[in-house]
Amino acid sequence: MSSKPNAEIVQTKRDAPQARPAMARWRDWLGVTPFFLFTFLFIVLPSVYLLVGAFRDTRGQITLKNFVGLFAPEILSAYWVTIRISAVTALGGGLLGFMMAYAVTVGGLPRWVRTILLTFSGVAANFAGVPLAFAFIATLGRTGMVTVFLKTVLGLDLYDQGFSLYSFWGLSFTYLYFQFPLMVLTITPALDGLKREWREAAENLGASTFQYWTRVALPILMPPILGAMILLFGNSFGAYATALSLTGGFINLVTIVIGSQIKGDILYNPGLGYALAVGMVIVMATAMMIYFALRRRSERWLRQ
Amino acid sequence: MSFLTLVDISKTFGATVAVADFNLDIEKGEFVSFLGPSGCGKTTTLRMIAGFELPTTGNITLDGADITFQPSNQRNVGMVFQAYALFPNMTVAQNIGFGLQVRKTPPAEVRRRVDEMLTLIHLEEFASRYPYQMSGGQQQRVALARALAIQPRVLLLDEPLSALDAKIRVELRLEIRRIQQTLGITTVYVTHDQEEALSLSDRVVVMSRGRMEQVGTPYEIYNYPTTEFVASFVGQLNLLPIANLDRDARSCTLAGQPIRFEHSGDRPISDTPRLAIRPEEFWLGDGQERNLLRGRVETLIFLGAIIRVRVDIGDGVLISADLFNARSLNLPRVGDEVLVSFPVHACWLI
Amino acid sequence: MNTPTPRAKRHAQTLWSWFWILAGVLYFVVPLIATFDFSLRAKKDVLTFLAYERIFTDAAFWRTFSFSLQMAFFAIVVSILLVVPTAYWIRLKLPRLRPMVEFVSMLPFVVPAIVLVFGLIRVFSGPPFRLTNTFAGTNVLLVAGYVVLALPYTYRAVDTGLGAIDVRTLTEAAQSLGAGWGTIMFKIIFPNLRVAILSGAFLTLATVIGEYTLATFIVGNKAFGPYMSLIGQNRTYESSSLAIISFLLTWAFMGLIQIFNRGRAEGHLAGAR
Repeated sequence: MSSKPNAEIVQTKRDAPQARPAMARWRDWLGVTPFFLFTFLFIVLPSVYLLVGAFRDTRGQITLKNFVGLFAPEILSAYWVTIRISAVTALGGGLLGFMMAYAVTVGGLPRWVRTILLTFSGVAANFAGVPLAFAFIATLGRTGMVTVFLKTVLGLDLYDQGFSLYSFWGLSFTYLYFQFPLMVLTITPALDGLKREWREAAENLGASTFQYWTRVALPILMPPILGAMILLFGNSFGAYATALSLTGGFINLVTIVIGSQIKGDILYNPGLGYALAVGMVIVMATAMMIYFALRRRSERWLRQ
Repeated sequence: MSFLTLVDISKTFGATVAVADFNLDIEKGEFVSFLGPSGCGKTTTLRMIAGFELPTTGNITLDGADITFQPSNQRNVGMVFQAYALFPNMTVAQNIGFGLQVRKTPPAEVRRRVDEMLTLIHLEEFASRYPYQMSGGQQQRVALARALAIQPRVLLLDEPLSALDAKIRVELRLEIRRIQQTLGITTVYVTHDQEEALSLSDRVVVMSRGRMEQVGTPYEIYNYPTTEFVASFVGQLNLLPIANLDRDARSCTLAGQPIRFEHSGDRPISDTPRLAIRPEEFWLGDGQERNLLRGRVETLIFLGAIIRVRVDIGDGVLISADLFNARSLNLPRVGDEVLVSFPVHACWLI
Repeated sequence: MNTPTPRAKRHAQTLWSWFWILAGVLYFVVPLIATFDFSLRAKKDVLTFLAYERIFTDAAFWRTFSFSLQMAFFAIVVSILLVVPTAYWIRLKLPRLRPMVEFVSMLPFVVPAIVLVFGLIRVFSGPPFRLTNTFAGTNVLLVAGYVVLALPYTYRAVDTGLGAIDVRTLTEAAQSLGAGWGTIMFKIIFPNLRVAILSGAFLTLATVIGEYTLATFIVGNKAFGPYMSLIGQNRTYESSSLAIISFLLTWAFMGLIQIFNRGRAEGHLAGAR
């Protein structure tokens, strides 16, 4: 009876020096298992499923045809419209957001304006999807307040001029509502990072305000500005709910096409649907890679 | 006529007075330091010379012209900042050449001048480095070169060494003095470090709470401080309560022991005058023309080159005496009765 | 000399700043005013809260809203339990893995919601999971999807929070006083991360409550987002009142984050478009 525990003690004693580090490492890894299991199941597995599916034809044979299919005119045009709308709203939202962030950081406005702007931006950047579409229908729709105002007061009929809320420009205006606040939120820290001494040093060396901005401030801000705009680009690129509830699916965006494909095989080829999704991931991954490269550069500059 | 003149300068921020009644003449080629604790107004004064702040009252004249309201980018004064303030997006050469470029200097001339500056600061091979690739000391040299490249009329330095390590600090201090002497440039240097101010300057302006306390050569400031603030801020000082003051006989008593003195200070003496003596003026034992004090050793503090002895001379009065640590020194022990003395001319009344 | 004085220059700069703030505020406020105005016009020629009344008396509104609230709650709990111990453990024991975990937590940025739901449905409707065959299964899938959507924000908030406290020293101090892992986690780490966890939670809530893309494909009209969309298709004034309600909710959640984050200027970005 008593020999067994004894033997165990002896064994532990003898093995302890080698066994302990190995044990600890094994337990350390156990601590992160839930995280990796979860992300594997719900991020990696679905992505890999789509990726593999994109290389299969309807009979399960390996093929590249689906990617060739991406170059069909209506799919190419879906990508083109999505990219254009993302670029337009990234530039427009980026410009407006930057100027507003400029106003509350180095623009000499009182502190409370900044607090309010950042809170508002936090709300507006998160106010998207279905309710945002409703709000813009009430504003710029055929009977929307602004449309009616322009028609009755200024005699300008937007819809006669070729504008439609349910088209490219209408959707862009709607996206801007969450784009420029996102720009404000991402670029404000960068503007805060502009040191007062840089401005003073430039002035002291004889530079005008214009020379300071073109030669010092903007070059320093360029990586974060571009990075933030890429973030905005991705933000529009993946948008689905806003576009769907605004246009009812009658605008040819990649997300809308994928949405229809989930509901039913409208492309008559599941593989093509997967390729479409993989295409989106590739665009997003490229954007993110540029974003992180730019961020690394500006972090290096602004260190210390 | 002086080169740089500040007349009746004051500056208030809201209700706080940052600088008041500031009057100073600086000669061409002179090296002047503003010395004082943080918040004493030294940096604000410097920034007014640079043009970053407008004085609330008063005038600043440079080389015969009133520059009080001249925009800072037209003043042609070079400034070196505490945190270097190099432009992170530019190389060393671009940083140094910036001031010349915005003046539309021909590129060849810019290049020549940049090379000259790089030689001056001994960083020839760093021309195409970026600031983030350099140490703090190197960055500050570049900042100095950048300020000098525009051939400024005045060089302003705002605590340029306080972000650096002790060793680099001393090294760069010598460098700054060397360069200033080579170029003969008029320099205003702001610091809270008395050693820097005393070792670099032709003249030192000691400031406290927005006011000038004393202006003088380092020797005058250290040996003949005119206010209690200067005396205690620059170097160590014993301030001791006295009794039986007789101004005409220049005598008093300290803890019941008789004292003679020579100076009574330039300023009117306060209601409760005290005797001021630097710790390094003391000896153990007696001597010619010296005041003698009897007491008991309370503590001994070993500081390396110096040993600080605190002696209780009765009535609860403690004096600090700094003795040079030499092997021949016959060091007393705590509790020993000792005689200490100091020269009659080395003490004064405050 | 013909240069503007510093004061005049500052004046021009301030005007320029106000101009852009005004432009942004207009962009921000006009749609809200228009929507609010529209939501009051359910009856001809009078302003009325009728549209709101109809929404608040609609059983489907309360049903879908509470459903989405529950989903958000579970998503928040799972996020915290998943992210906090992991981020803590990485800092304490496996710092070499940190870049990898950071990378993985950024992946949802790269996979848009529509692509994510596409993949989730295809993977989990088939064997061996078959999650889409039962209500419970779809709910689990939706919660998991929301955890993924929130992952980048939650991870960053928690990791920043951990960076602000000295994890190793705190842990060693607790251990030297005899605390076990449970005590360390719940009495030391969680309380010190209160701000990060709460702002992460409310951000998740704001994102998830009206979320449409995942909800419509996984659970359909049971959730609040698809319900709003349904209202939008056939009830004009009610949809405007829903937009206002939803806006006020977002405002409330963001306001709460602001209160928790007092003084800290951390950007809040979310992603249910």
